[in-house]
Amino acid sequence: MSLKYVGKNITRPDAVKKITGKSLFLDDIKLPGMLYTAILTPPTAHAKIVSINTSAAEKEPGVIKVVTGKGIDFLFGDNVKDRVPMAVDRVRYIGEPVAAVIAENPHQAKMALKKIEVKYKTLPVYTDAREALKKKAALIHPESGNYWHLPGMGPEAKTNIADHYLLKKGDVKKGFAEADLVLEGEFNYPFGSSAAIEPHGTIALHHEDGGIEIWSSSICPFVIREDIARTYKLPVASVRVHIPEVGGCFGYKSDVTVEQTIAYIASFVPGRPVKWVASRKEDFLSTLLGHGIRTKFKVGVKKNGKLTALQTTILHSTGAYVDTGLHVMRGSTHNSTGTYEFPNCYLDGYSVYTNTPPVGAYRGYGHQESQLGIERMMDMLARKLGMDPFKLRESNYLGPGKMTALGEKLWESNGNVKKCADIVRKKIFAGKKKKEDADYYYGRGFAAIMKSPKGAPFSSKSCYLKFNVDGSVSINMGGAEVGQGLRNVVRLVAAEALKIDPSRISVYTEIDTQFSPWEWQTIGSMFTIQGGRAVVRAAEKAIHQLKKTAMQALKCDYDMLEYDGDYVFLSSDPSVRVSVPSLTQGYMTEDGITIGEVVHTTSDARLPRYSNPDANGQGSCGVTYTFGAQACEIKIEKKTGKIIVDHFASSFDVGQVINPIQIRGQVVGGVVMAVGSTLYEEIKFDADGVCPNPHFSKYRFPTINDAPAKQTVEFVETPGKIGPFGARGIGEHPVIGVAPAVLNAVYDATGIDFYEIPLSPEKVKAALDAKGDR
Amino acid sequence: MSEKITFKVNGRERTVELEGWERGLDVLRENLGLTGSKRGCDDATCGACTVVVNGEAKKSCVLLAKKLDGADILTIEGISKGKKLHPIQDALIEAGAVQCGYCTPGIVLELYALFSKNLSVSKKEIKDALAKHLCRCTGYEAILEGALLAQSKLKKNLSVKRPSRRFCNV
Repeated sequence: MSLKYVGKNITRPDAVKKITGKSLFLDDIKLPGMLYTAILTPPTAHAKIVSINTSAAEKEPGVIKVVTGKGIDFLFGDNVKDRVPMAVDRVRYIGEPVAAVIAENPHQAKMALKKIEVKYKTLPVYTDAREALKKKAALIHPESGNYWHLPGMGPEAKTNIADHYLLKKGDVKKGFAEADLVLEGEFNYPFGSSAAIEPHGTIALHHEDGGIEIWSSSICPFVIREDIARTYKLPVASVRVHIPEVGGCFGYKSDVTVEQTIAYIASFVPGRPVKWVASRKEDFLSTLLGHGIRTKFKVGVKKNGKLTALQTTILHSTGAYVDTGLHVMRGSTHNSTGTYEFPNCYLDGYSVYTNTPPVGAYRGYGHQESQLGIERMMDMLARKLGMDPFKLRESNYLGPGKMTALGEKLWESNGNVKKCADIVRKKIFAGKKKKEDADYYYGRGFAAIMKSPKGAPFSSKSCYLKFNVDGSVSINMGGAEVGQGLRNVVRLVAAEALKIDPSRISVYTEIDTQFSPWEWQTIGSMFTIQGGRAVVRAAEKAIHQLKKTAMQALKCDYDMLEYDGDYVFLSSDPSVRVSVPSLTQGYMTEDGITIGEVVHTTSDARLPRYSNPDANGQGSCGVTYTFGAQACEIKIEKKTGKIIVDHFASSFDVGQVINPIQIRGQVVGGVVMAVGSTLYEEIKFDADGVCPNPHFSKYRFPTINDAPAKQTVEFVETPGKIGPFGARGIGEHPVIGVAPAVLNAVYDATGIDFYEIPLSPEKVKAALDAKGDR
Repeated sequence: MSEKITFKVNGRERTVELEGWERGLDVLRENLGLTGSKRGCDDATCGACTVVVNGEAKKSCVLLAKKLDGADILTIEGISKGKKLHPIQDALIEAGAVQCGYCTPGIVLELYALFSKNLSVSKKEIKDALAKHLCRCTGYEAILEGALLAQSKLKKNLSVKRPSRRFCNV
């Protein structure tokens, strides 16, 4: 297919506003009569609230109202209704809102917060699923059996199990019986934070007429709107949610995070907008964390390298509320196969309530947590079998005709993992490995990756496309631009589909549920494929409308007409034509009578055949799989144990590159983010569930000096059948293979197997020293 | 205990009344409406609040506002001239260094201060200046490319105008 705009580097439409500091983010919004709130959190992560005394705080300067959770009579949640906007009689994690002050300015609110007196009676604190699962563990949600939940998911009463998902394929016992070698391993992907540079923030306003208006740094305005409407028993249409520019998301600004809390606080001052913007500490501890996933692997393989069986246990410390976390665990569970076909699987996943902040989406959504395990297992299996690890992988790659654990058959159009693997292999493994020297060990590591879709039954995206009188086009959608560049994707796809120059297309700059077409939420690396498909469908409808009017203007049959972006013309005689601008608002005939319709269209794009899991946990994830491979060359400083990534190579089969600069930016940025997870980042909790490092100065986040010195990024383009011009997603993929590639390289360098991250210099040095002692 | 301070921002003299607790970032954003400077943390780690104070890149989230009395400040709002972007801005856009845009203004100002002092800084010195900034989107590659491109653009333009001269024109 010859493409004119898709695949070209065209500057993103929001670049100038961003680089001049004029893009409006949540914290930049000031509304008339706006008040500010500050929120009190507890000193310990699990306790009963004995009493709260707010009288001193109420007398502080500027204070309008002090709010507690006393009397809250509703729960909220989209998967499991287990959440409260503010603690009612107990706290379950260290970032839980206990009380709030509303004041004239944020400083006054913060000062008054110090005057609130709360008495607590402490309860046992569990910061790890393994502790919360113990027989005598106290229940974090004694009422969990009564919670509303979506069918087929949710808590097991009288336990701390918040969700259990079992996925079975074939007969795992038979599979292990057939194996010549069975190998086990346990891995840990600890808590981390998406840590966008823009913290979460929300403004909520309860209008005197009963409507509610919300501004939030979120990617799911429509989920918030529906959730708030349910809570306050309002028609959904009476809730209006605005999404301004979002300063990075990486997962944790999806689902409902802080909006219910701010809406609850604002409900005490109707008519006044109330603003809250998280401090960095609150952004870490009072929104959503990522990961918290331990995995156990048992893999069976024949001598010839054919995999026979996979048994995994996914143990997710889901935090104090499971609502947002259970799908992360489920994604992680079915992803434990990685890019490999296992004829027999028994994949057992548990989300377990813990006294830690709730875990939600983090770029990768469960994939990197379990694929760390399987990709390390593949290297260890190859070693035991005495087989080349690439050959072992190649004997088992998923591909056309193969069946995923979910029972989904794959086709050529799902992409080609082997091609990606060959590319990165050539980039990293072609030459000889560098020899150990006085200062460094050197190593190389590889990981293949699979990105499965993650949808829901109703997860559509919509597009509203309007031709203007001069032939320019305005497009409005509900997808959130968080930096990934979706506005440019929309523009390029629309330009291609409408055959017009991108400069004639203007893309929406904010989302407002009052005007924006409905979208589920901008998650799961699905915007390009699904949003792009909606754009193509809207464009096709618009062309159809233009032709319908042109048919009357030119007095001919519909199928005699062609469209080229500027004109609709007779295919047999292109000189008989009518210009697109003259058709956009209907066509005015010579006598002034106007015929035809205004050219504006709506469309949507759904996940193809998404289905809920069946009795075996199998079903369709919808959309499509994407495959890729990543590899790296590292060195390890002998003196300190410090790991330095010298060269990182990534290749993904994305179907079709939409914009080369942007897609490279996605991959390079994703790799550095995952290098952070692999080497530095961890949100820690002590025995009281208190986090000692909720600041950027203590949560080690990669700087430019930590980024790999060189990144190679190449794409395979096996066209998909669903997305626009064959394109698939890319947003989450780059984070998936980084940890296993680096840990495999560490083994290559030192002969030491590591099973958990982050791999700090101290851990590496200690292991090197221990090995030296032996 | 209110206290008045007077300082120059983007070439204009401004007087602000303080309560005493404010940091530089609060004054710029809340008192003066210069919201291009961003808050990403409170412990001078992320660099999103970076502005140029008397020719030096400073993290305004930890600067006590009262210490700004008499200072000469440049914020992102003062760096371009109407629709004409500064070459540093042009270069960062060209390199694809803008993603979410939240860290971007601080980085522009860091580079502005760096190149204003010495346009011949080494790549290592550029990296060290950029290491004062956190970016979650880009992985820094395009930012470094943009910085190097900006340096060569500025060299071609002969020199970066000194802040004091530039301010008079804004």
